[in-house]
Amino acid sequence: MENDSITGEELQPEPIQESDVKGDSDVIQILQTFWQNILDNKKLAVIIRRVIYGIIAFFGLFFLFLFFIFIIPAIQELPSGHKSAVTNSSDLKKDAAYKKQIAAITRDVQRLTRKHNSYTSGISYVVINTTDNLFYLYKNKKLVREGHCSTGSLKMLMTEEGRSWIFKTPRGKYTIQGKQTNPVWTRPDWAYVEEGLPIPPKDDPSRYEPNVLGDYKLTLGDGYMIHGTIYKRFLGMPVTHGCVRLNDEDLKAIFNTLSIGSKVYIF
Amino acid sequence: METEEIINKPPIRKYLLIAVILFLLAFIIYYTVMMLLAPGKKLEALKNEYSYKQTEKVKVDERVFTDSTYLKLFKEKAYLQSRIAMAESDSIYLTVNIPDSIVNMSISGVVVHSTKISDYKYSKILFSGDDYIITSLLSRPLTIINDYSSIEKAPLMIKMAPKDTSEFQPDIIPDTADYEPVNYILEMNNGITLFVYQAEKINPGDKLSLFKFDLRYRLRLTMASLRNVLSFKVPEYHIYIKMRLPRSDSKIIYRAIPKHGQIAVYR
Repeated sequence: MENDSITGEELQPEPIQESDVKGDSDVIQILQTFWQNILDNKKLAVIIRRVIYGIIAFFGLFFLFLFFIFIIPAIQELPSGHKSAVTNSSDLKKDAAYKKQIAAITRDVQRLTRKHNSYTSGISYVVINTTDNLFYLYKNKKLVREGHCSTGSLKMLMTEEGRSWIFKTPRGKYTIQGKQTNPVWTRPDWAYVEEGLPIPPKDDPSRYEPNVLGDYKLTLGDGYMIHGTIYKRFLGMPVTHGCVRLNDEDLKAIFNTLSIGSKVYIF
Repeated sequence: METEEIINKPPIRKYLLIAVILFLLAFIIYYTVMMLLAPGKKLEALKNEYSYKQTEKVKVDERVFTDSTYLKLFKEKAYLQSRIAMAESDSIYLTVNIPDSIVNMSISGVVVHSTKISDYKYSKILFSGDDYIITSLLSRPLTIINDYSSIEKAPLMIKMAPKDTSEFQPDIIPDTADYEPVNYILEMNNGITLFVYQAEKINPGDKLSLFKFDLRYRLRLTMASLRNVLSFKVPEYHIYIKMRLPRSDSKIIYRAIPKHGQIAVYR
């Protein structure tokens, strides 16, 4: 019951106590004294002034940095360009000279489209992605098979005598120059150098190694080939000396689909 | 006497500070004006180079250059011309189709890799400038003259040949799980710059590494502009196309495109 009845006397604001006013003025007085002390202490005043100047200078430089690096390039983009109005005038469309020009440019577009389409090979081709070590086989402009392959390791083998070899699969457009079943690998010099073996003469029988290139090989020129591998666990990784390695099934499909003269696009 | 001398001494430091601030402000205004003049100067240069020049023999009604039908055909013709010019070589080239948000990598007219642009931003000049002039500018392939990248173009590893078989160590399987953010900038011969940024934020540090990469390039451009402005020349304005591509695709493109490769842009 006591809580329910609020009397007018209770709503009256509490009178400001003299001690509170005294407390506030004390704080102000302390601050004033503190500030006065700082001003009186010349060394401290100089330090504080320098700190304030330093902060202003820092923010000034920071603003300048933002201004030159970000704000100006953004402002440059605001008013750029004066767009010529694109029209669709019916008067112009009736003009004989206009019709002639449209006919001429339409002919040009058709001719160029035909020319551009002629580049897309109708026969079968293979695309090799050396970054992800993938291959794509196309037949009549349709993707018929894709999978993993292995391409150049991007290693440079150097000898103390100054000889060097870069194991990189070349990029660009290549042509199948030859096809062979049951190929024999002729070990080049780097195959001996890499293993620390002495290099034999050119036609030494030790250079010929059967059963390491799989069942088929397709030659691309300059010593580069598409062939099989005995290191199937490395497929999908860049581990070769520049050739393209495939597994047995993919190699067979490519060998049977591509003919001599077919294109190989390597990127 | 001493106090009087101090009072009468002119506040040189204060005047010096005011002079420095005024000089800095004047330079900022001068720099801003010169930078704002740059897009206009670029547009003027493009007009002089690519606007249609009437000859005595062939008189063309210039209204056609603002006609929507003509411009649509002209854009298509320019893009085809550009692609055919690049397809004539065996080199790997890029086509950027902004309306369809597609980037294609091709060799001799055959698209070998395609990717979707997830986000893009471009200079206003490219779309708000004179249609005929901008299309004429893009009717020839753009050649890369400089590139800046966060990844290596050809990460070659050097391996010294073993002296004998005892030193031979078989190759360790390459670490294909390596992660590096892929961002690069391709500067082209006619003042267009292509920025390719990784679309995904895979690691927490990716945003920071892109910021640092972008800042370095901005600093380089600002320094070049400052040099021009200090020698009283209007700085060069760079038309830009910024796009975000999936990380794996942007890596493939950067590794495959030749150092001075070519690019066609359709807008």
